[in-house]
Amino acid sequence: MSELAASKPETTEDNNNDNDSLTPSTFLKTVLGRPVTVHLSSSSRYTGILSCLDGYMNIAMEQTEEYEGGQLKAKYGDVFIRGNNVMYIATEKKIK
Amino acid sequence: MSTKVMPLELIDKCIGSRLWVIMKNSKELCGTLRGFDDYVNMVLDDVTEYTMVDGVKEKTKLEQILLNGNNIAVLVPGGDPEA
Repeated sequence: MSELAASKPETTEDNNNDNDSLTPSTFLKTVLGRPVTVHLSSSSRYTGILSCLDGYMNIAMEQTEEYEGGQLKAKYGDVFIRGNNVMYIATEKKIK
Repeated sequence: MSTKVMPLELIDKCIGSRLWVIMKNSKELCGTLRGFDDYVNMVLDDVTEYTMVDGVKEKTKLEQILLNGNNIAVLVPGGDPEA
């Protein structure tokens, strides 16, 4: 995973990493393998286990469920989401 | 002399406090800012998402999110519009 983290475009290290702030890059490193909900700008939603992601917010997910307007539309074993469509990635439990 | 406040400095001062985010697509979010990067992608805690559905504001609670900076229009330090 470390090479993935190294290839991302953000230069976050200059932002206050010394205090208790949680920057997007640290978040990305910590959410791997967790259950997440990904909201796209098209207002559709994907829940599943996050298997892989990069700094463009390109995402690979497992056990994915696709929701549209709150209704389950489909289930997929594996899913790739291109990062430009992602509005936010939500975790069910907080990362401290 | 140095009374200028750069935009990202202002956001940096908001880390740890509530922030109101207005998106381009008539969506609004309120949460505690945990951190951000140069693209103003942000990590937010205890988020309330407000979505306009047929002229009615709909609320959704979210534990923690990584918000893509791409769709952000305005940031208002201090937080919730209705709190």
